[in-house]
Amino acid sequence: MRGRWISQLSLFVLLAGFTAINLTPVVWGFMTSIKQPVDAFAVPPRFVFTPTTEFHWQVWIEKGFWHFLLNSAVISVGTVIISVSIGTMAAYGLSRLSGGASRGVLFGLLAMRMFPHILLAIPFFVLARILGLVNTYPAMILALVAINQPFTIWLMRGFFVDVPHELYESAEIDGCTAWQVFARIALPIVRPGLWVTALFSLLLAYNEFLFALVLTGPDTKTLPVAIAEYGGEDLNYWSLSAAAAVGIMLPIVIFMMALQRHLVRGLALGAVKG
Amino acid sequence: MTALSPRRRGPFHRQRGAWWLFLLPSGVVLTGVMLFPLGYAFWLSLHNYDLGSGSRDFIGLGNYAELLGDERFWNTLLRTVAIVMTAVSLEFCLGLMVAYGLYRLTFGVRVLNLLMFLPNIVTPVVAALFLRWIFIGRWGLVSGLLISWGIFPPDFLGDPVWARVTVVLADAWQFTPFMILVLYAGLNTVDQSQIEAAQIDGAGVWTLLFHIMLPSIRPLIVFVLAIRLMDAFRFFDTLYVLTAGGPGTATETITLYTYALAFRLLQVGKACALGVLTLVCVAMLVAVMIRVVYRREKGAF
Repeated sequence: MRGRWISQLSLFVLLAGFTAINLTPVVWGFMTSIKQPVDAFAVPPRFVFTPTTEFHWQVWIEKGFWHFLLNSAVISVGTVIISVSIGTMAAYGLSRLSGGASRGVLFGLLAMRMFPHILLAIPFFVLARILGLVNTYPAMILALVAINQPFTIWLMRGFFVDVPHELYESAEIDGCTAWQVFARIALPIVRPGLWVTALFSLLLAYNEFLFALVLTGPDTKTLPVAIAEYGGEDLNYWSLSAAAAVGIMLPIVIFMMALQRHLVRGLALGAVKG
Repeated sequence: MTALSPRRRGPFHRQRGAWWLFLLPSGVVLTGVMLFPLGYAFWLSLHNYDLGSGSRDFIGLGNYAELLGDERFWNTLLRTVAIVMTAVSLEFCLGLMVAYGLYRLTFGVRVLNLLMFLPNIVTPVVAALFLRWIFIGRWGLVSGLLISWGIFPPDFLGDPVWARVTVVLADAWQFTPFMILVLYAGLNTVDQSQIEAAQIDGAGVWTLLFHIMLPSIRPLIVFVLAIRLMDAFRFFDTLYVLTAGGPGTATETITLYTYALAFRLLQVGKACALGVLTLVCVAMLVAVMIRVVYRREKGAF
C-alpha cells in the first residue's frame, strides 16, 4: 500500500515538473511584461524585482493596441456568426444523409482542412487585390469562414450524430417541415455543442496569422499581425511587446478556464472522431 | 424532392428530401472561397506572373520544371521533412509517456492536463515571442542562466544547427500537449477487462502499454500522426516570428519559402507552383498513412 502511494507521488512530481517546464516561457513572458528594461536585460536573469504595470498601459492605450483588439474582435466575431450558422446547417444536413454520401463529404472536408494555407493565401490576395478588398473586414471574414468551415462542420456533426433519429421521424409525422425539424427539434438538443463550437471557432479566428498578414492593412490589422510587426528600435521594446503578448493571451486563458470540461471533445474528438 | 409538399413556402418547408438544402450555404462558401481560389492558384501556377510589374505570360509547366531543377527547392523540401519528422517523433514519444503517466496517476489529473495544455492554444505568434525571450542570445532566459552558471551558451537562434534544434523544440512545446490530450483520451477507451486480464497474467507497466494498450489504439495513433504531420508541414506562424527562416536559410521550410516567393519577390506564378507541389507532397503522405490503417483495419471510421 505504501509502495503504491510513493510511486503515485513520484509520478505526480514528475508530471508536475513537466507542466512547470511547459509553462516557463509563459511565466517568463509575464515577468518580462512587468519588469523595467534594466531588469529585463539583466544577466544573470532577475527573478526578484519591483513590478510595474506601466508598459501594459503604454502599449494598449498610448501605442494604440486597443485599436487592433477592436479589429480582432470584429473579424473573429463576424467569422464565428457566419461560420457557425452555415456550418451547423451543413452538419445537420450531413447527419441526415445516408452513410456513403456523408462519408464522402466528410473526407472531402478533411482534405480541405489539410490544404496548405499558403496555397490559398496567394490566390486570396491576388483576387482581393483585383476586387479592391485588401484591408477590408469582409475579405478577412470570408477567408476565415472558409478555412474554419471543415472544422466547424466536423465538430457540430459529432453533436448531431448523438441525436436519436426517432425524434425527427415523430416530428415529421406530426407535420413539421424540414426547417421546423431543424430549428425546433435538433437545434435545442445540440445547444451546448453550439457554444463549444462557437468558442473554438472564435479561438481559431482570433489566433489566425497568415491570412491576416496577407489580407489586412493599416485599418484592419489584427492583434497577431500587430505584435509580429511591432518594431524593436525602442529601448522599452521588450517590456512593451511582452505586455502586448500577455494582453493577447489573457482572453485565451479565460477561454481555457471556461471550456476546461469540453477541451478534450473540442480538440481531440473534433479532430479525430469519425 | 418529390412532390410531397402540402405547404409551399420555399424549399426549406418541403417535408421530405430537403436535407441537402442544409448543405447549400456552406457548399457555396466552400466552393467560392476555397475550391475556386484553389483552382485559380493552379491556373496562376502555369503563368510567369510578376505581381510587381503586373506582367503575366502563360508558360505551361515552366514554373514546375524550374522548381524541380532548382537545388534550393530540394534543399528546402529535405529540410522541411527533417524538421517535421524530428518534431513529430519527439512530440509522439513525449506525448505518449506523459499521457500514460496521466493515465496511471490517480489524483490531480484534471488540473495538470489543463495547465499543460496552455501552450497549445496560446496565439502561435505570441508563443513564438515567448520562446524568443527564452532562447535569444545573451538576454534570453536559457543563455542568462547558462552564463550565470559559468557556461558559455551557444547562440540558439543565430547558429544554423542550434536554430534547427530550437525550431524543433518550439514545435514540440506547442504541440506535445495536443498529442497528450488525444493519446490520453485514446488510452482511456481501451477495454478495461483486457487490461485486468493482462494484469492477472502478471504483465508489467510497460508490457501493458506496449503489448495491450498501444495495439488497440493503433488507428487513433496513425490518425493523430497524420494530422500532426500535415499541420507541421504547413506550419508558418511560429517560424515566421521565431527565426524567419534564418540564419540564412537554416530553418526555412517550404511554407516560408513559398511566402517569400509570393510576397517578397512577388513571383506569384512560381509561388503557386511551389504551393501545388507542397499539396502533392502532403497528399502522398496522407495516402500512404491512410493505406497503412485501412489495409489492416477495414472500417476504422
